[in-house]
Amino acid sequence: MSTLVLDSVSRWFGNVVAVNDVSLTISPGVTGLLGPNGAGKTTLMALMTGFLAPSAGTVLLDGKPVWRHTEAYRQIGLVPERELSFGYLTGRQFVRANADLHGLTDPGAATERILGVVDMVEPAGRNLDTYSKGMRQRVKIAAALVHAPALLLLDEPFNGVDPRQRMHLMDLLRRLGDEGRTVLFSSHILEEVERLARHIEVVVSGRHAASGDFGAIRRLMTDRPVQYAVTSSDDRALATVLIAQPSVRAVRLRPDSGLDVEVDDLGSFAVGLPQWARAHGLTLLDLSPSDESLESVFAYLVNR
Amino acid sequence: MAERTGVIHDLGYRRYDGPRDGTATIARTLYVTGLRHAFGLGRSGKSKILPFLLLGLCTLPAAIVVGVVTLISLDELPIGYASYTTQTQLLVSLFAAAQAPVLFSRDLRHRSIVLYLARPLPAPVFALTRWLSLTSALLVFTLLPQLVLYVGALLAGLDVSDQTTALLKAVALLLLTTTVVAGITGLISSVSLRRGFAIVGSIVALVVVPGVVTAVQAIAQAEGADDVGVAAGLASPWSLHSGLADAWDAGVTVFTPPSGGWVVAYLAVAVLVAAVTTAALVRRLMKVASR
Amino acid sequence: MNATIVRLAAQALLGRRRFWLLLALPVLLVALTVLIAVLTDREAAWPLLPGLGYPIVLPLVAVLAASSVLGPEVDDGSIVYLLSKPISRHGVALSKWVVAWAATLVAGALPLFVSALIAGGGDRAPAIGLAAAVAGTTYSALFLAVSALTRHAVIVSLLFVLIWEGLLGNLLSGVAWLSVAQWGLRIGYEVSAALPDPTNLVWAVLASVVVTVGGVWLAGDRLRSFSLRGED
Repeated sequence: MSTLVLDSVSRWFGNVVAVNDVSLTISPGVTGLLGPNGAGKTTLMALMTGFLAPSAGTVLLDGKPVWRHTEAYRQIGLVPERELSFGYLTGRQFVRANADLHGLTDPGAATERILGVVDMVEPAGRNLDTYSKGMRQRVKIAAALVHAPALLLLDEPFNGVDPRQRMHLMDLLRRLGDEGRTVLFSSHILEEVERLARHIEVVVSGRHAASGDFGAIRRLMTDRPVQYAVTSSDDRALATVLIAQPSVRAVRLRPDSGLDVEVDDLGSFAVGLPQWARAHGLTLLDLSPSDESLESVFAYLVNR
Repeated sequence: MAERTGVIHDLGYRRYDGPRDGTATIARTLYVTGLRHAFGLGRSGKSKILPFLLLGLCTLPAAIVVGVVTLISLDELPIGYASYTTQTQLLVSLFAAAQAPVLFSRDLRHRSIVLYLARPLPAPVFALTRWLSLTSALLVFTLLPQLVLYVGALLAGLDVSDQTTALLKAVALLLLTTTVVAGITGLISSVSLRRGFAIVGSIVALVVVPGVVTAVQAIAQAEGADDVGVAAGLASPWSLHSGLADAWDAGVTVFTPPSGGWVVAYLAVAVLVAAVTTAALVRRLMKVASR
Repeated sequence: MNATIVRLAAQALLGRRRFWLLLALPVLLVALTVLIAVLTDREAAWPLLPGLGYPIVLPLVAVLAASSVLGPEVDDGSIVYLLSKPISRHGVALSKWVVAWAATLVAGALPLFVSALIAGGGDRAPAIGLAAAVAGTTYSALFLAVSALTRHAVIVSLLFVLIWEGLLGNLLSGVAWLSVAQWGLRIGYEVSAALPDPTNLVWAVLASVVVTVGGVWLAGDRLRSFSLRGED
């Protein structure tokens, strides 16, 4: 079990601030690091893995700084976004070299075990040059996992990986998180993060924009109308009732059945809805928030 | 059930129906950009250091020579125009070796070549334009000190027609030599995409091989086997340059000067190497473009 | 020292096209020496060594070897695979240097010695062999440090060899005090007085040792502070 703590970390290059006063804690489980391209995700990753010194603040892994602390790499598995330039090695040789460099007691066995975990046993005898993007990605993950690190950091791990292999990788990461490892992956693609991690850290323009469960983050953003999907015994009748309420901004009939309701005042809507329905003899069949997707959270944070 | 429909919104983008610049304009723009990039202009401050350092080193002696001529009123330049280039060939070679990858390796290595070729610019035109940029950069690099010498000589009151003849001879030789050097370094850079190895490869071709040739020529002369030395001179761009300069009486002396039919052979080899390397460069870029 | 890094660096050096470039230089030197020695006499081939082999072939081999073991990996960032391991950075630098050093000796100093033997060197052959081994050792460490310091390592190293040691070294005798090649020659002079004797012995030995140790240490220190950056 490892915890990575960033305390008021800033990093600037000349007069460009890439990371601006970020404080966050990465705990065991899967965490998604989300941000648009150029938001500072890679810089943040480099800071977390000891490949960049913070200009201000501290990056601590289990209480010790990671910058210039080579022993920390016993705990860290790193999957960089950069491509492998070891095309002259086979997959097995590459993973084995990583095992050797970690000084494992039985590097051969560790190599075979991890190749099995990422499902790369069969192509492991081929040169890295001949691999597809997804295979290279899995070999990189194998190399990062071969010493069973408590903390796994992946920079844009799903870039260029086809959907089937992406599913496979996601299952793998989810499993690692369930085992109690600390898994952090960065992405600028919402559905990836949404499908893999409930816990997100959002960076926008180098600043830490939000942190936590994305549903909870969504509910915090009360100054923006919330979307609900409502299904009832008589949608048109319910629509006439709802539009009369000051807490409701807009109602729209859905093409199939049900209503899309835009709510300004979440509190009075939540209290009022059952009463209004009962008063008009309507039965509510289904009520669900329709925009608690990461996309809406993200769009909100980015545009704020 | 409502039908599923799609719509493409009119965001107000307008088509451009006006006149478009042709291949010639694109090529000219690319040529000028390439020429500027060879000197680090339009690139980061760091990339300007090397070309201008070398240019400074290469021009400084010319300025000193002009100073000396003016101060002690010599009636001729202590160093000829063509021989100035031979004396500074190491600097010219370094410049060519270091800057050819700028024009030929980067686009191929980062695959940005496809962006260029996505424009209506055929791959051969692209290759030739780049080659022309490099040749021009080398000409600028080698001609600047010559001009300093020339202007200095005229200001010091040396004979105008003598100086002009000597300068024109040197310029004619340079026109030939720079095309050869640009062809060789360009080809090496387009094949070896790692900047470092392209540079070492060019240095082997422009410094090591000429060094070998000079050694062989010195020994050949000492042994009285001049023909061997003359033949060896065909093997490197700088020995071709010096050999032709010697044969043309342009103020350069080599151990084993070519004469008679050998001069024609020197000329033919220089033209051939320039043509073959340039053709190979075009082929190489066409191959990359079709990938 | 780390056997895995040594093995990977050796594979990177030997398994690529650049190996042929590395091989071409000594082959060219020896072949030329043989050719001249056979066609004329052995003594006539000797000037190749102080004129071409020692001042150009040897440093070029060292530049190629040193930049091959470190340059490409720093350049494209894949050095992070080595550095994200609990291994001392100085160990990484030392392992890389050992490979570059061995390559410089085998492809640089050894062919020089062989050429010198062919060129009828007498006691000059071991002298220039020793000079080349010393200079090759110092060069490989110096150029390794340069490779760790800048992405333009090859051109910076070449400027040092060709402009500083070559061009300026020929014009200004004082450059010999700061010239790896001259330190090597001074040490070789102890074996044969036929070699020139620039600077003095103590300085030459001290400077060679300091630059070698300092170069490897500096390379390690730069790796300790290796930062992942975007393209420059």
